[in-house]
Amino acid sequence: MSNTAAIGKTVKPTRPGSKTWGAIVQHKAFYAMLFLPLAYFAIFKYGPLVNAQIAFKDFMALDGVWKSPWVGFKNFGTFFSSIYFWELLRNTLVLSLGKLLIGLPMAVILALALNESSANKFKHFVQTVTYLPHFLSWVVMYGVLLLLLSPDEGLVNDIIKALGGQEVSFLQDPSWYPTIVILSDVWKEMGWSAIIYLAAMTGIDPGLYEAAEVEGATRLQRIRYITLPGIVDVIVTIALLRLGTILDAGFHQIFMTYSVPVYSVGDIIDTWVYRQGVLDFQFSLATAVGLFKGVLGLCLVWAFNKLSRRYLDSSLF
Amino acid sequence: MSKIKSHDEYVFQLVANIFLGLMLVVVLLPLWRVFILSVTPFKYVDNSFGLFVNPIKWTVDSYAQFMSHPSFLIAFRNSLIIMFGGLAINLFMTVPMAYALSVRSLPGRKWLNVVVMIPFLFNAGLIPGYLVVTGMHLQNSFWAIIIPGAISIYNMFIMRNFFAEIPMDLKEAARIDGAGELFVLFRIVLPLSIPIMLTIGLFYAVGHWNEFFTPILYLNSNKLQPLPVLLRNILMGLNTNEFVEYDTFSQVSVQSLKAASIFITMLPMMMVYPWIQKYFVKGSLAGGIKG
Amino acid sequence: MRKSIITASIASTLLIAVAFGGYAQAKPVDLDLWLLQAVTEAGPPPDDWVGYKIIREKLGINLKLTLQPSSFTDQDTKISVAAASNTLPDIFGVNRDLLIKIAKQGLVAPVDSLLPMMPKRTETHYSDPMRNKLVMVNKKMYGLPDPGAMDRVEGLVIRKDWLDKLGLKVPTTIDELYAVARAFTTKDPDGNGKDDTYGFGAYYESSNLATAGFGRRFDYIMGAYGVAGTWNFESADKFQFNVRNPGFRKAVEFIRKINEEKLIDPSWSAPNKDEFRARWKQGKFGIWWEQFAALATQANYKDFDNNFPKGEIIPILPPKGPEGKSANGLDTANARIYAVSAKAMKSGKGPAIAKLLEWMASDEGYYLCGFGVEGVNFNKDAKGYINLQGIDPAKAYSTKAMQPLTQLRNMVYINNDIELAVRYPTYKSANGKTMDPLGIWRFFKNSPYTQAIGSSLVDPPSNVNDFTRYYNENLVKFALGQQALNDKTWAAYIKGLDSLGAKDIEKTAKAKLLDAELLE
Repeated sequence: MSNTAAIGKTVKPTRPGSKTWGAIVQHKAFYAMLFLPLAYFAIFKYGPLVNAQIAFKDFMALDGVWKSPWVGFKNFGTFFSSIYFWELLRNTLVLSLGKLLIGLPMAVILALALNESSANKFKHFVQTVTYLPHFLSWVVMYGVLLLLLSPDEGLVNDIIKALGGQEVSFLQDPSWYPTIVILSDVWKEMGWSAIIYLAAMTGIDPGLYEAAEVEGATRLQRIRYITLPGIVDVIVTIALLRLGTILDAGFHQIFMTYSVPVYSVGDIIDTWVYRQGVLDFQFSLATAVGLFKGVLGLCLVWAFNKLSRRYLDSSLF
Repeated sequence: MSKIKSHDEYVFQLVANIFLGLMLVVVLLPLWRVFILSVTPFKYVDNSFGLFVNPIKWTVDSYAQFMSHPSFLIAFRNSLIIMFGGLAINLFMTVPMAYALSVRSLPGRKWLNVVVMIPFLFNAGLIPGYLVVTGMHLQNSFWAIIIPGAISIYNMFIMRNFFAEIPMDLKEAARIDGAGELFVLFRIVLPLSIPIMLTIGLFYAVGHWNEFFTPILYLNSNKLQPLPVLLRNILMGLNTNEFVEYDTFSQVSVQSLKAASIFITMLPMMMVYPWIQKYFVKGSLAGGIKG
Repeated sequence: MRKSIITASIASTLLIAVAFGGYAQAKPVDLDLWLLQAVTEAGPPPDDWVGYKIIREKLGINLKLTLQPSSFTDQDTKISVAAASNTLPDIFGVNRDLLIKIAKQGLVAPVDSLLPMMPKRTETHYSDPMRNKLVMVNKKMYGLPDPGAMDRVEGLVIRKDWLDKLGLKVPTTIDELYAVARAFTTKDPDGNGKDDTYGFGAYYESSNLATAGFGRRFDYIMGAYGVAGTWNFESADKFQFNVRNPGFRKAVEFIRKINEEKLIDPSWSAPNKDEFRARWKQGKFGIWWEQFAALATQANYKDFDNNFPKGEIIPILPPKGPEGKSANGLDTANARIYAVSAKAMKSGKGPAIAKLLEWMASDEGYYLCGFGVEGVNFNKDAKGYINLQGIDPAKAYSTKAMQPLTQLRNMVYINNDIELAVRYPTYKSANGKTMDPLGIWRFFKNSPYTQAIGSSLVDPPSNVNDFTRYYNENLVKFALGQQALNDKTWAAYIKGLDSLGAKDIEKTAKAKLLDAELLE
């Protein structure tokens, strides 16, 4: 790489009549830089796409991906006719949408409070602290949740009991589990998500605020008429992008925290794929489901990206 | 900000700061509880919500217990190897790609972007990717953890956009001076990109430090398990064997052992990120959205 | 004629050469062994373990040990990953359901041909026809079923000191048990003035079809209603899922009742063994189902002993139900199965594997893997009983530090008296009482158990995941009161099972069990 790069220069004699070739030669150092990454892409990003063919095959480990026999759409049929199909889809969407609907406003409110507060040191400290959970793995988070929510020793239940209530096994109770999943995710990501809104707020022209102040607008009015309109584009864009990946409901989180009593509300497509594919050695079925999710996800991203481009003039691609 | 501190302003500040204070408590309280439990000795009595240290009876036994766990040092070392090794490979792969794709005049850039975009938008799922890794016989080595995630497309985009915003004339000036592209990259672009390098570097490092699923999937040897896997075993009680006949059980309470291991596992990340925090805004703003 | 004799003699020379090749070869055979670990916290044997050297020098085998994870699902994950990429190790411990699946894919080799190469081991380990049936596919053995855990190791126990304090008798029927549980919950049996105790304690531990339902911690309740276990094995005519038996619903109603009335520690629905054990050691409940060693060996008992120096836990007979039935649990065939990969067999490692296993069954291998080095880690008397006389206490085989040396012990143990006496010694508790773990085991052993050997033999259907989930999840919901329990919902539940193929599963299971002569 370094050899080719070292001789790469801007001004280079080009072959007459071949402008493109000249440009390519001129940029050869960049192609050299791209060589390894593209090789990596071919193997680790496109390899899986090639392997996805086993969704239409009956995968036999000894025969490998290519020699296993074709079975058409049988695996998809098995999944669609599974009694858990709708439940998996519903759980995935409910948890995912819940995180978006609660997480996004929380992040915006936190950003607003940070933006408006003039207690600088305190503000900075709050910011630092609220970032923290973002850097914790779901293993650690699971541990924290256990020590917080366990029926006998958990803090929350201690308080409930002190107030004369009955303890609740939050992580095993289907009526509580989705709430816990959503709230723990909001707790973890709230501070981090606020960054982007806070940045958008600092980008608003200070002249607007000054003018509003002169005209006697209250702080609330300033937020209502200046700050929020100023960041609405960012909010909508983030929301649309998130909607595009709505089928990712948080595999690691669920994987760590779920158990049989809450399967009915906690089992999502990804965890089902893991259990069927890896634990039950049904690779083709699991791949078919993964593929189904991928295709659906692609359609969603495409649709929401189009919406975003049309109405907001900003898009992912 | 304002010259006259009106009543409105005062109330507003109060509300905002109370809200921030509340958030502070909400985030810190659970973590504080974990810390308190980790220094509480084993005793069958309900503690006072586990929020206060009993000054007479606190102990670091559970930390000693966890750190003297036969697998602790190995797991800690493995986590460090995965994090630093992974980070080196991430940067070695991501930086050149992002830099090359940031060059607007690069012929075929459009096609290359499509090539990058397709796997970003379409994910074939867990199993096909896993067959690639096992097909290359990477399992049971750190490579299986590090290589498949060598480039995060999202992080690469952020970096690409940041590079693209560096004024062209700086790069051009260097090129006209006869400097090679590597020189431009290392001497001009990277020094201007410290915020993004630190942010992306942290993203990658955190990802590696927290990784537990791929190690469960790919690493067999007991000498390769990283810290989060050990923590998971302790938390889920996977390590206490039904048929343990001899004296291998711990002296401290299960709870406080769990708490201590949680704390130790999250400590390194807690100590690092505040130093890089000021760059987050630049890092996350450059990402995702095409201008 | 002459020519053929020459050919024959050449051929036989070659055969002999091949046959003895293993001994003559200077280069040792590499064997990759994935071990089901004996002590999960201890870690693998050190690189300089004397066993490695003996195995290399005497047997010509380079043994490479990998300890499998202790959780069953993590074990399955590892085996699946290796199987999918056809990189299974030469010999590995594996659970039966997964073994059958990968055997059908041709990834595992039949081991019948290895048995004659290890006569001693076959006699001590692989001569139990029942255990061998566990690994049969099409009349061939696809695994080596080592003796598993001892049988009937688990059963019902109760806090005797609580009974005494409240002036109660040992309950004998399910109704009396219920009354005792109520007293334990409401009458402050530990006398601390707080309402912080429960009658029953359990945790949720169901994993596969054979242990479907509430998991084994409720076996004594299911047993009282005659429905312990997934299947009804009484006779071929009656063979079916136990859930079809009216008694099953009564058992579910009982569990629902004790849950509703808070007579059972509410954390029972969490799948956490660790927490469960921490809880009885903290005196949270007074009636539970426990493995005798987890209950009564010194290491496990000491926390309870510290907390409650006057506490006393005794095993009791499982309660009798309305029809006089009772069971402490299930008699099942259990084994620690080791399988040989097809790849290893193909590359000619079979004889080396047999040689290694045969050595483990020899005196040298048995004592080394089971207890360590004689004179260093243990001593033995004339009858072969193990003792620690004259052994440096720091090096005694039973200390924590020496555990890695005996990680292979489950591959050599055969559960004879010598082992049992060593593994479960008696000792004195804080209140001066003699604790005899084996005594508790013998109590369990003589208590009623339900015969269910065939349950380990039923092959999982292809939708086993969905099926067991539906089966378990609904039962748990019924018990937790999250779902109404009446004729209509119960019928709907059974119908749901049928729509998932319950009848087919029963039919294939029955055929298989009749074939295996486990049903009459």
